[in-house]
Amino acid sequence: MDPSVVLSALVLGISIGSIFLVAALGLAIIYGTAGVINMAHGELIMLGAYTTYTLQTFLGVPFFLCLPLSFCIVALVGIAIERLLIQHLYNRPLDTLLATWGVSLVLMQGVRLIFGSDPKYVQLPAFLSTNLDLGIVNVSVFRIFVVLVAALLVFATWYTFYRTRFGIMVRAVTQNKEMAASFGINSGKTYMLTFAIGAGLAGVAGAMFGGLNIVLPTMGMSYVVEAFLMVVSGGGSLLGTILASGFTGQMQSIFAFIFNDTFARFLIFLMVVIFLRFRPQGLIGSGDTRR
Amino acid sequence: MTINPYHDKRLQWVAYAIFFALLALVPILLDDAFLLNQLSTFGVYGILALSLSLCWGFGGILNLGQGIAFGLGAYGMAMTMQMQSQDIDTNPIPPFMLNNALESLPMIWEPFWNTGTGIFLAVAIPTLYCLIFGALMFQARVSGPFFAIMTLAMLSAFYTVFIDLQPYTNGVNGISPPMPLEVGSLVVDPYSTTSYWIVYAVLLLSTVVAKLLTQSKFGLIVRAQNNDPERVRFLGYNVAVYETLIYAISGCMAALAGMCFTFLTQYVSPSQFDVGFSISIVIWAAIGGRGSLLWAIMGAFIVQGAQSYLGDEFLNTWILILGFFFILVVRFLPGGLAGLVELILGKLPNMSKQQKSPGEKPVDKASLKEA
Repeated sequence: MDPSVVLSALVLGISIGSIFLVAALGLAIIYGTAGVINMAHGELIMLGAYTTYTLQTFLGVPFFLCLPLSFCIVALVGIAIERLLIQHLYNRPLDTLLATWGVSLVLMQGVRLIFGSDPKYVQLPAFLSTNLDLGIVNVSVFRIFVVLVAALLVFATWYTFYRTRFGIMVRAVTQNKEMAASFGINSGKTYMLTFAIGAGLAGVAGAMFGGLNIVLPTMGMSYVVEAFLMVVSGGGSLLGTILASGFTGQMQSIFAFIFNDTFARFLIFLMVVIFLRFRPQGLIGSGDTRR
Repeated sequence: MTINPYHDKRLQWVAYAIFFALLALVPILLDDAFLLNQLSTFGVYGILALSLSLCWGFGGILNLGQGIAFGLGAYGMAMTMQMQSQDIDTNPIPPFMLNNALESLPMIWEPFWNTGTGIFLAVAIPTLYCLIFGALMFQARVSGPFFAIMTLAMLSAFYTVFIDLQPYTNGVNGISPPMPLEVGSLVVDPYSTTSYWIVYAVLLLSTVVAKLLTQSKFGLIVRAQNNDPERVRFLGYNVAVYETLIYAISGCMAALAGMCFTFLTQYVSPSQFDVGFSISIVIWAAIGGRGSLLWAIMGAFIVQGAQSYLGDEFLNTWILILGFFFILVVRFLPGGLAGLVELILGKLPNMSKQQKSPGEKPVDKASLKEA
């Protein structure tokens, strides 16, 4: 086999993996901390994309500024969802899933009513829409940019949760809510901020996916299933999600090279089902986590 | 301490009898073929809501991919009907396959030459799928939200595969068999009372089977594992077997619904595997009351009835309102409308003996909220 074909499949795999990772990151944080399965995550991604589109088209905000702004705006939406709905459902996990599913329906339909069902486009800065020729492989600069942002987001998340005072509080609440509360940590507020960060990360993801693909009210659905599989098969931890995304991205790229994109997707889903049969706790995770 | 008439088993059966008696009046009183067809379709949705209520309300297994069994059943029926209008000598290959440059009939289509085999496969394949997938997941003790996500992933996988296998499934266009279903000498015209009665019979049969199941020892264990699987395991029951069985029975009912759907509409497409459709099933059961078989069916009737009554121009707003309503039900009324009725009937302690009024429909088995 031609080595350059293999290499380009590998590079594409890294790119796909980074997309999975960016989509799954916010979800992993919310699930890992509060144990909440946020079915509206895909629609938060979609909101991020529409935020970027609106800021660009109507206010002329440059793309790079749209990324942090999407984070902030979608994080606010996340706070609203958490305060109004999810904080009342923390002890009913299956109902949280349903309620957030309802939220996803409302968000999708609301956006459809406001913006219509026709596709929108996010404009990228000129140098991001070019291709980079590395001799053997040819990759779009924007895909490299996504990989870099993914790395940056992972680092920022890791730093926030493992190197700051807030991170210690979050982990304390995750390990034992009552004990943390007796040390004066406000668990409700911690959950709320975590949810906001998770939602914000979805917003950034949406801003980037808007540049990668067309922007549609239904776009969230296509990312959220993969994102969930990354979190579940990763075991809900940050490192697990990174590993699962990287591995699955490569598999997707290789299968797509052998068969085609949709069949590759089917095979990945099948692999996750079989994987969970033998390792229900995921890649990284103790046997008795929330399950 | 007075007994809530809602929990009276005899009254529940009375309510079921009244409900089905009313449904039996429909084709006698109604003389509009189009409306009859639409009502039959609602009946199909009723079966779907019932099947989900059985698995979710009683077993605690939230299946977000009920559309898989439904879609597989619908495709099985569509393939059977398609092959009825093909001729083995002169015209053996459906037209869409010729358009997709298939030279011969694919192997998986061969068994559908025979109507009996085709109908059998349309039920057997989805049920078998549920058994295998359920066994894989439940033996690994994947349950609750995780099982829900896995069903959603499988739904998404089926959706992409059925679109992708264009030569075999006609992709997004779906299969539209040119002729109504014929079983022996019986022609199932979608706009006739025949098709209404078939759907009626399937709905009645599913409801009675489901109701008897929930009142049996099997149903007791299913409900027990919903409350506390660990304790049921300590009592020596293999929880995974019970979970798999209730999931497969529910899938079998959904497959029957799918088959009815195909002969009613003479059309099937990958939109049966669409996430939106499976969301609708969950919404019907949730709004009607997941813990009540009869109210789950009513939920499907009410939601779909309102949707078609409001018409297409309001569809987008309607879905938005439905979404809000769904959130409110989950947040404040987890038992759905059934929970509301249970609450009201419980507040009328002295009237419990006169509670047989047909308009009230005080239905159904013991609530699940209390262990």
